[in-house]
Amino acid sequence: MMRTIEVLLVVIIISTAFVAASYFTVLPPPRQVSPINLRRLSLTTLQMLDSDYDLSIAAFQTDNSSIWGSLQIALSASLPANVVYNLTVYDISGQDGGVYTNVASMSNAESLYTTSDVSTYTVASSNVTFNVTPEKIGEGNGGTLYILNCSDASGWWITGYTAQSLAQDLYNLLSPYFVKTIMIQNTNQLYQILNGNSLQGESVQNAVVINTCGEAVPIPSTYATQYSSDYGQYPYLLGQKVRTYNWTWASIVGYPFYYVSNTVTLASGQNNWGIYGMSQVGQLGSRAFLQGLNAQSYNKNDNGAIIDQTHSSTGYQVTFTQAITDLRNYYGIYPSSSQTSSRALSISTLQSYNLQVGLYVFNPYTYNSVDYLAGAVYNHHATGSTNITGSLLALGLTRTPDVRVTCISLLSYFSPRLYHSEYTASGTSRLVVLQLGLAGGS
Amino acid sequence: MLSLIVFMAAIIIFIGLFSQSIQTSVAYERHRTLGTEASDLLDNVLLNPGIPSNWSTSDSSPACLGLQDPEYMQYTLSPFSLMRLTSSTQTPVLWNGAYFNNNTGGSGSCVLTPLSKSVNYSTAYRLLGINGTYGFQLTLTPTLTISTTKVSSGSPLKLAVTVDGTGFPLANAAVTYNLLLVNQSASTYPSYTVISGTNRTDLAGRTSVTFPGVDGETQTYTFLIYAYLGGLKGMGYYVNVPSGSAKSVVPIVESYTNRTICLAHSDSVGAPPQNPQYSQLSYNATFVLLSEDYSLRPIQLTENATGNVTYNQPGQSDFASLAVPNNFGVLIVTYKNAAAGQYGIVLMPWGLSSLSYTATLGGNPEGQEWVATDIRQVTIGGIAYQAKIAVWSVQGVQGLTPL
Repeated sequence: MMRTIEVLLVVIIISTAFVAASYFTVLPPPRQVSPINLRRLSLTTLQMLDSDYDLSIAAFQTDNSSIWGSLQIALSASLPANVVYNLTVYDISGQDGGVYTNVASMSNAESLYTTSDVSTYTVASSNVTFNVTPEKIGEGNGGTLYILNCSDASGWWITGYTAQSLAQDLYNLLSPYFVKTIMIQNTNQLYQILNGNSLQGESVQNAVVINTCGEAVPIPSTYATQYSSDYGQYPYLLGQKVRTYNWTWASIVGYPFYYVSNTVTLASGQNNWGIYGMSQVGQLGSRAFLQGLNAQSYNKNDNGAIIDQTHSSTGYQVTFTQAITDLRNYYGIYPSSSQTSSRALSISTLQSYNLQVGLYVFNPYTYNSVDYLAGAVYNHHATGSTNITGSLLALGLTRTPDVRVTCISLLSYFSPRLYHSEYTASGTSRLVVLQLGLAGGS
Repeated sequence: MLSLIVFMAAIIIFIGLFSQSIQTSVAYERHRTLGTEASDLLDNVLLNPGIPSNWSTSDSSPACLGLQDPEYMQYTLSPFSLMRLTSSTQTPVLWNGAYFNNNTGGSGSCVLTPLSKSVNYSTAYRLLGINGTYGFQLTLTPTLTISTTKVSSGSPLKLAVTVDGTGFPLANAAVTYNLLLVNQSASTYPSYTVISGTNRTDLAGRTSVTFPGVDGETQTYTFLIYAYLGGLKGMGYYVNVPSGSAKSVVPIVESYTNRTICLAHSDSVGAPPQNPQYSQLSYNATFVLLSEDYSLRPIQLTENATGNVTYNQPGQSDFASLAVPNNFGVLIVTYKNAAAGQYGIVLMPWGLSSLSYTATLGGNPEGQEWVATDIRQVTIGGIAYQAKIAVWSVQGVQGLTPL
C-alpha cells in the first residue's frame, strides 16, 4: 500500500513537472517560425519607390494629394496582398537632429497585428544641395600644389598613360584641397619655380610637387646642358631645392629620379630602352636627391646607397596600413588595398640621411632579413632640429601607376578636414518610416 | 507488483509526452534556421555582382554567383545576369547541334541562350556554398503585370490594357505605348512605323487605345507598353502576327562577350529538325533602347541588319549573325516570307527585363518537408521586380513531423 502511494506521489511529481515544462515551453505560432523578413521587404520597397526619386518628392509634398495618392497606390500595388503597411513621414527639424516631427502618414489597416517590422529611409529635398568643403592644405603657410605636366618631357613606368593624363586626374582629385593648384606645363616653368619664382602669385615655399613622369623627372634645358656630363647632379639639385623650399616631393611609381627627361635638349639621347629624349641616371638619382636634401656634398657613388628590392621580378604584395585604410572612407578614394611593389626602399639605408617616416602608406615587410618600405612619406630633419626641412613621398610600386594611391597618401599625410553641410538642418531631410505587417490569422 | 506496473506505465507515458515536446521544439528550431538561411541566401545573391563582376556580360563562368548590377548599389540587378540563368521551367531547345536555354516569356518574342554558358541549378548551389545542405528556387517576377487584349475586329484596332500590381491594380498610372506597324509593302526587307502616345489607367488599372485605319486582323504589329506611377515601373508587350505566318525568324544568342545574335529560320530550331518546304525569310533587324521619356530610341546595327535566312538549302545561308550594342534593349526583327506573301515580327530582349520576362532558377520545392520563403523588391533595368526565394533542407528530417 505504501509503495502504491509512493508511486502515485512520483506520478504526481512527474505530472507536475510536465505541466510546468509545457507551461513555460510556449512555441510561437506557425507564422513566426519562418516569417517573411518584413524589415528587408520594407527597406527594399522604399528603395524601389525612390529609384527615380519619386518617394523623395512625395515626402516633401505631402500636401499634394495627387503625388501623395500616387505613392499610396504604388505602395499598395507593390506589396503582396497579405501585407499591410503604415508609412509615416517625419521632418528632421531639430537643430541638433534629435527632434522628429510627424508630417504625414498613410495606412491600409487599422492595426498591424502582432507580426510587424519597420525600416527607415532618409530622403533629401530636391531643393537642397549637399556640399562637402575641404580644409585647404597649408592655408596661410604655402598651400600650393605643383603638378608636373611638362609637355617637353616623357614619362617612364607610366605605361598606358601619358604624364598629361595623369596630371589631369591628379588635378581633379587634389585641387579642392589646396589653396592654389598649378600645372607646370613645361620645363621652363619648372626652372622658374626651382629658382623660387612664383608663376601665378602662389607661394613657392612649403609646396607639394607631384612628378607625373614616373621614374623619369623633367629637367629644364639649362640644367640638361649644365649637367650633361653627369645627370646625377640634377636630382642632387632637386634635393637641395626641396630642402630650401620645404617642399614635399611626390614620386608616384617605381624608382624615383631614375631618368631625366627633356625631349628637346636630350632629343638625340635615349634611356637605354629606346625612349628618346631621356637619359638614365640609375640608382644614383635617389641617393643624389637625398644627399642634396641632407645638405651633404655630392658623391657620385652608385653602389647601393638606396637599395631597390631586386628580388622582385614578379613584385611583392603590399597592403595599406590601417590608418590609410580608414582614411580611404573619409576621403572617398578607394585604390585597391593590395598593391604590387618592386621598388621598395630599405629602411636602414634611409636613416643615414636624417629621414624619419612621417607616414607609413604601406605596412613594412621583411625580406631576407632586410626591412622594406614600399610606400611612405619621409621627413627630413636637420641634425639636432625638430623642424621638417623637406619631404619625399616615394611609392615604390610597380607599373602601371594608380594616382589614387598618391592622392590618398598625400591627403592622409596632410589630413585636411572635410566640412559636410548639415544634413539635419531644418527642411533638408525627412525620415520615411515604413512599417509592414502580415494580415490574416493570428 | 501493482505499484511497479503503475510506475513503469507512468514513466513510459511521460517519456512519450516529453519526447513529443522535444521533437516539436527541435523542428521549430530547424524551421527557424531555414527561415534565416532563406533571408541570408537571398541577400547573398542580390547584393553582390558575382566574381568576376562582369561575368554576366562575358562568356566566362562565374566563380561566385551574384546578380547585382556592378555599376549600381543595393538591390539593383543586372538585366544580363538573368539571361545567364538556366530556366528551370522550360526545356532547352536544339539548334545547329547544340542546346540553348529557353527563357522565353511570352508569345511573339523569345530569348534562347547557349546552355553551355548558362548557370544551372547544380552549379548555382555549389557556387552559393549550400551544396548538400539546402535546395532553393529563386524567382524574379515583374511587380507589375501588364496585359494587353485585342477588343476589336478588323479596323480600327482597339487594344485594352490592364495594369496590376501584386496586391492592387495600378490606378491612375501613366501609360506610354508604342505601336510598331510592319510596313507590308513590296519592300524586300520590311521596316516598321511607330505610333506613340500616352494615356492613364482608371481606378481598376485599365485603359484602352484605338488606332484608326489599322486592321487588327491582317496587320502585323507589336505593341509595347510602359506603365509608371510613384516610382513603380513596369513593361508589357503584345505581338500580332496573322495566323498564316507559320515560318518565322528565331533570334539566338551566340556570345555574350561579342554580343552576337544569330537569326535562324524557325524550321531549323527544335529537335528533331522539321522537314521543311522551301521558304526564304527576308528580315530587317533593329535595336531599340528605352529613353527616359519612354520613347524608343533606335540604334543602328553595323552589320547584317538586313538579309535572308533559309533552312537546309544548298548555297544559301542558314542563319545570319549580327552584333547588338552593350546597352540593354530590345532587338526587333521584322521579316517577310516572299513565297507566301506573309509578314511577321519577333522581339528579343537583350537583358531579360527589357521585355519584363520572369526568371526562375532552382529546384522544385514541391513535396519538401518544410519550405521557407522570403521576398525582396528589386529594380532590374529600371523595371520593378520582386525576387522570391524558396529554401528547403535536403539533409533529411529523421523522425520529425511537420508542425
